[in-house]
Amino acid sequence: MTGDLRVVLPLACLAGGAFVVYLVARFVTSRNDLLALFTAGVLTAALTALALLQLAAADGGPPSGNHIPSWGHFGPDGALLRADSGALVVIGIALGLGLLVTVYSARYLALDRRYETFYPLLLMLIAGLIGMLLAEDLFSLYMFSELMSVAAYVLVAFRRRNTTAIEAGFKYLVMGSVGTVIVLFGISLVYRETGHLMLSQMTGTPGPWTRAGAACFLVGLGIKSAIVPLHTWLPDAHGRAPSSISAMLSGVIVQSAFYTLLKVCLGLGFPTRSLGTLLIVLSLLNMTLGNGLALVQTHTKRLLAYSTIAQMGYIMLSMGVGLRYNIPEAAQAGLFLMLAQATTKGLAFLCQGVSYFYCGATTIDQLRGIAAQMPLIAVAFSVALAGLAGVPPLAGFVGKWFILTNAVRSADALGYVGLAVFLLNSLLALGYYLPLIGTLFAPPLLDTEGAGARRIQVSPWMALPIITLGALVLAIGLYPGPWLAWTANAGVYLLALRR
Amino acid sequence: MNAETIWLMTILGAPLAAVLLLFLLRERGVRVAGWIAGLAAALSLAGTFALLPALQRGDVPVLDVRWIPDANIRLSLRMDWLTFPFLVTEAAVTLLAIVYTWGYHHPDSRTPIFYGLLMLFAIGMSGTTLADAMFLFYIFWELMLVASCALIAIWGEGEHRGAVALKYFIFTHLGSLMVLVGLLLLYNATGNDSFSALRAGVTLAPGLVTTATVLFIVGFCVKMAIFPLHLWLPDAHAVAPMPVTIMLAAAMLSMGTYGILRFPLSIFSPAQMAPFAVPMMVAGIVSELYGALMALAEQDIKRIIAYSSVSQMGYILFGLGTLTHDGIAGSTLHVIFHAIVKALLFMGVGLVVRATGRRRITQIGGLGSAMPLVALCIGTGALAIAGMPPLCIFDSEWMIFAGGFHTAHIGLSILTLFGSLLTVAYALWFVGRILFGDRPEGLTIDRLPRAMVAPTVLLTALALIEGLFPAPVFNWVDQALNLILGGTW
Repeated sequence: MTGDLRVVLPLACLAGGAFVVYLVARFVTSRNDLLALFTAGVLTAALTALALLQLAAADGGPPSGNHIPSWGHFGPDGALLRADSGALVVIGIALGLGLLVTVYSARYLALDRRYETFYPLLLMLIAGLIGMLLAEDLFSLYMFSELMSVAAYVLVAFRRRNTTAIEAGFKYLVMGSVGTVIVLFGISLVYRETGHLMLSQMTGTPGPWTRAGAACFLVGLGIKSAIVPLHTWLPDAHGRAPSSISAMLSGVIVQSAFYTLLKVCLGLGFPTRSLGTLLIVLSLLNMTLGNGLALVQTHTKRLLAYSTIAQMGYIMLSMGVGLRYNIPEAAQAGLFLMLAQATTKGLAFLCQGVSYFYCGATTIDQLRGIAAQMPLIAVAFSVALAGLAGVPPLAGFVGKWFILTNAVRSADALGYVGLAVFLLNSLLALGYYLPLIGTLFAPPLLDTEGAGARRIQVSPWMALPIITLGALVLAIGLYPGPWLAWTANAGVYLLALRR
Repeated sequence: MNAETIWLMTILGAPLAAVLLLFLLRERGVRVAGWIAGLAAALSLAGTFALLPALQRGDVPVLDVRWIPDANIRLSLRMDWLTFPFLVTEAAVTLLAIVYTWGYHHPDSRTPIFYGLLMLFAIGMSGTTLADAMFLFYIFWELMLVASCALIAIWGEGEHRGAVALKYFIFTHLGSLMVLVGLLLLYNATGNDSFSALRAGVTLAPGLVTTATVLFIVGFCVKMAIFPLHLWLPDAHAVAPMPVTIMLAAAMLSMGTYGILRFPLSIFSPAQMAPFAVPMMVAGIVSELYGALMALAEQDIKRIIAYSSVSQMGYILFGLGTLTHDGIAGSTLHVIFHAIVKALLFMGVGLVVRATGRRRITQIGGLGSAMPLVALCIGTGALAIAGMPPLCIFDSEWMIFAGGFHTAHIGLSILTLFGSLLTVAYALWFVGRILFGDRPEGLTIDRLPRAMVAPTVLLTALALIEGLFPAPVFNWVDQALNLILGGTW
């Protein structure tokens, strides 16, 4: 096995870290905060490794071509892992969010205990995600995506005394497994025709089996990226998981599956224009259904979960416009939206988690008067919701600006339809984001026996990630330049995959 | 960095510093909050006037910084003759509204946040007029909405303030999105978000010109509350706390006019705008008549004045629609004079509500003898809105009608002229019912804070002075028009 060791380093950090954390939890200490710090250390190491890798990728010259750092070479041009620029962005988001979620869990996990399983599973989840994004041959990709999914199933059902959590985890497991089987079937179809599974070597016009294989990937990974009508598991899973896990799932896991879907489908020679058209059409469903159903939710986390389906629609629209009209900026905007969504939705779930932790709030009505008890959380939650609604100057607005710009640039009927539906949806979405903000700041109901006005001191473990994410949402909105530069290569790379 | 740039930054920077300070102080700053806000608003107004000599010399104060290089987005502020009249209006209305708030607002632990949001609202408005790039323009445009909506949702009067705030937000956001798409059409055509690229000239396909113009006019008409896009206005004005109502009615409505002047009128040629002349004039007349009729029918004194705004914005849209020098000049002048009179009327209504504790017009009467000074102010305001010489609105309405008679559509112009009779009717009936007649049973008059009376009296004086000596203000507006029309009209 040869190649650039920096490619495998983040993965090795996390996979090794998962075992070490488990051993530490069993034999050294079972204190939550120490374990969280240790896990955070592992994630920081992985982030450092990723930074090195990012530098290696920057040395490599143009974003497409043979300069992409890779590891595990065999054959003339084969490699196990390849660090393309889009994957690096998504991995960076995942590690950053994972780090914040870990710090947050140092206090939040007091609700669930069983620290020795939580932190290793979290690390496995991110390791699976990294492997899936870096994997160059389809079988490793499949294995890593399974690692990620299995960890996610368990984490969704982590509150095992709660029957609805078990139900949600089971539903997720069943639907996820169907997706997995379809992907595996697709792999076998591709193998039948080409005799190998290296994505980078799939050149020339794809034959019928490869086309069928690509379609299988579209459906299989479509389930995991919650593309309507394959989204039905998401509201349950994201609504029932512990909030810290919901933040990861809604913030980055779904998006990573979607990025993988694009990479594989394009790599297998799925006609770019048709893929773009398909994504635009499906995105209309995602946006409308997600926003429409979010309007009628009474549970905060289910509302946020439906909003994730809608936000996936925005990402799909942007990517679809990029692919259909060959606009690299639109694909870049899709990745930027993933970043905005990760920070904003992550922030929203973490704030909801704090409200649940201290006040037991699960429904929207129970959030009344949170502002009087925890002003910081109410403000951060409002920033998150306003960001999701695309109110300037927050991160979501910059994403909205670029979606609209590129849809206008497409100068085509379908692009304009996408634009109009997107605009209607951003109005529709205000219908649930704004009342939720209003509820946070509403005076508490009188019959709470005077408990309503009591100030609650939020633990610094939970406050720190929330402040960090809030600052990021604002910073990305006010000064999007560097973040856009980070995603610029990825857009070019994705479009360079087309044939 | 020269003095002009520093003043330019002060206009936005002083309120911004006040906002940060107030949000940091929170309940510790209850006693100083009003002073901080007042000082910032005064600095902002001073900054505006400090740049007047530069404008008269022919300079254009600018601030231009790189912001998002990847997308050609810049952070640029620019003060030109079109900005100036609007900026003066906003800054002055803000300062007076803050002074009025000193008397109106009962301090509590959230007072600094109240003043902070008022300042944020003011930043949104002055930023909108100063912005010289689309991205920045839209950010300020929405900031204006977010801040005012938060003020209504938290400090609004009545049970339904949450619902009213939601309606206000969604309704005006619809307009904002139309404006945003219009901006993006231009952005896409020039590849650059700076207005200087627009000034250099845009080439758009004829279909896109029509689309962009419709999007801009309809989008900005939502902000101007032109019938039938006015639905947010009566509720928002009636529910908002009085200082916010003053800023909404006197300053924020004029942002719609600014938008129409800045975008379709400045960018597109008269020939391109010609197809929109009659629709704008007709919409203006309908709005004028509808607002006046609703003001006659309303019972709540705050809503009467709110509907009067719908009617007055109708005059402005009519004037813009004439596409003549006189009409557009009259409309721009009307923005300023309407701001004076509308702020005066709302302040007067606020004084009546504070003194009597009542808002239904049938329960109020005979205030003329009970509070003569306030009655004089309200009476002057009502006569001004009715277009009575020598008060200021007479001058601007004269210009608007003159513009109307320069067009080929004499019939429409006659209709507006006679429509203004309805304005006279509601204004005089309003005054007659609350100032004269018998005082109803049990109507008591409380003492009024000086901080609320002083700005009202000042505005009354201003309404008279501007009516008698409109020349300086008229000169500013004329300069603005030279900038837009550039001799091609």
